[in-house]
Amino acid sequence: MRIRISHDTVYRYESPPAGVIQVLRLTPRNHDGQYVTDWRIDVSQECRLDSHEDAFGNLTHTFAAAGPFTELSVLVEGEVETRDTQGVIQGAVERFPPTLFLRETALTAADPAIADYARAIRSEAGDATLDVLHALLERIHRDIVYDTAPTHSATTASEAFALRRGVCQDHAHIFIAAARTLGVPARYAGGYFRRADGLVLQEAGHAWAEAFVPELGWTGFDPANGICPTDAHVRVAVGLDYLGAAPVRGSRYGGGTEALTVALHVDQATRQMQD
Amino acid sequence: MLARTADNLYWLSRYVERAEYLARILEATHRVATLPVGYAGSTNEWESALSTAGCAAAFFALYNDANEENVTEFLTFSTANPNSIRQCFEIARTNARAVRTALTVEMWDAINGAWLEIKGFGTGSQTRDEIARFLRLVQESSLRYDGSAYRTMLRNDAYWFSRLGVFIERADNTARILDVKYHLLLPAQEHVGGPLDYFQWATMLRSVSALTAYHWVYRESLKPWLIADLLILNDQMPRSLASCYENLARNLDQIARAYGRQGPAQRQARAVRARLENSRMDEIFQGGLHEFINGFVADNNRLGATIARQYLM
Repeated sequence: MRIRISHDTVYRYESPPAGVIQVLRLTPRNHDGQYVTDWRIDVSQECRLDSHEDAFGNLTHTFAAAGPFTELSVLVEGEVETRDTQGVIQGAVERFPPTLFLRETALTAADPAIADYARAIRSEAGDATLDVLHALLERIHRDIVYDTAPTHSATTASEAFALRRGVCQDHAHIFIAAARTLGVPARYAGGYFRRADGLVLQEAGHAWAEAFVPELGWTGFDPANGICPTDAHVRVAVGLDYLGAAPVRGSRYGGGTEALTVALHVDQATRQMQD
Repeated sequence: MLARTADNLYWLSRYVERAEYLARILEATHRVATLPVGYAGSTNEWESALSTAGCAAAFFALYNDANEENVTEFLTFSTANPNSIRQCFEIARTNARAVRTALTVEMWDAINGAWLEIKGFGTGSQTRDEIARFLRLVQESSLRYDGSAYRTMLRNDAYWFSRLGVFIERADNTARILDVKYHLLLPAQEHVGGPLDYFQWATMLRSVSALTAYHWVYRESLKPWLIADLLILNDQMPRSLASCYENLARNLDQIARAYGRQGPAQRQARAVRARLENSRMDEIFQGGLHEFINGFVADNNRLGATIARQYLM
């Protein structure tokens, strides 16, 4: 599928900041089943975009915008050609051995509740890693209600699990915490999802998880949707948790309260290619 | 577009690119072969040139000795070699005649003009000066052809098929140089040679017109692992494997967009491009440079066959 993405992140400041520095993880890379045909980043203030690769292999762009200004917008637009690989990731940048992704982080630490949950699922599903992960996928999708209200970007997996509610980021964190408890390396994947129900205007990008399955390699699991990634997913960045793969992270000097709005359109490109 | 038209455009570009490459190899080999034995080492440069040109077997079926005269004759004017420069232009011109209407006037002039001038060199043996003049002519003709294609062709499937030919051939040629000379690029510990290899490295870089480019990019004296990086992974270098595949993926994508269909050729090109984009030189050395190059050559041949099956038959 050829997916067209337009992602505008706008910050409005109550009083103008003296400067803003941001690190963007907004550029997808090519791998098997994903080919970026067109991609550009536009920042509303005059600045230089320095491109680097972070430790996980994500493409990052850093800029420093000098104030004062009352509004800063980062617009990302592009087109990606995707193919369904049943969620298996191949040909991507892998800088670390999988065992690094057993590391616990604050956002993905498994409390006893998650640990018990994970172990219960494993005892039902059997020993095969893939079966366990699929069971985990299904159960989290069923048990955690999609709700944007109670959580925010700093909510930990344990907090969201206790509420049994959250957004895709929380679903992903819970999945990762559970998988790591069972000794399966898991990581956070952020990107875009083209919805089949026709809803083009979205509030935020999408998040899911990837786990290392012994015979297959890194495989995606999308607990918010209850599926493995298909050709509707565009994978942009990976990390140990949300913080490592966050689309925008930054600091500002001064400026009063900051209001963030996101306008995201994810749709099929008008010209599709028959396979 | 008729498969046959696409086929002619594709092979026209491939043969012109091939002729230019042969001319560059010969020039580079002439240069290193004139050095005293103490500088260049004991390898037979003319044999190396044959391997780099991919026609060692055919040569030894006709000749016993790989020396300057035989190899130069074999690669330039020989009618017994189906891939000699003269034969390349012969086939290129035949292809060009068949698709005359798909070419612009300037492109046809470039090919036909080159063919006529090459005929003018006759069939007798040539002096070194004449050979040098001939090789210059070949390179200039190729640049004229390429330049006029870029500057005057409409951006439609005819253009993109031509470009596919250029980049497949170019990737093939760079891969072959790497294949023949890979042992010169291994990291220092495994490296058998020494200061003599400087001339070998310089020759490699000259064959892909990258000697100055190297210094511009790396600002260091010649180091084998940086040469490998320049020729394999560096996107800035137009003859690198990564750059060729960036263009192949893009041109195949344009064709897919124009036709509304994509197939195995697009997928294969993208996969190789992603792999080259995501690799680092130290990872390649760890996995084995020769193995990597062999793998790439196989992939490249497979893509050529896939393009042929998908569009040219």
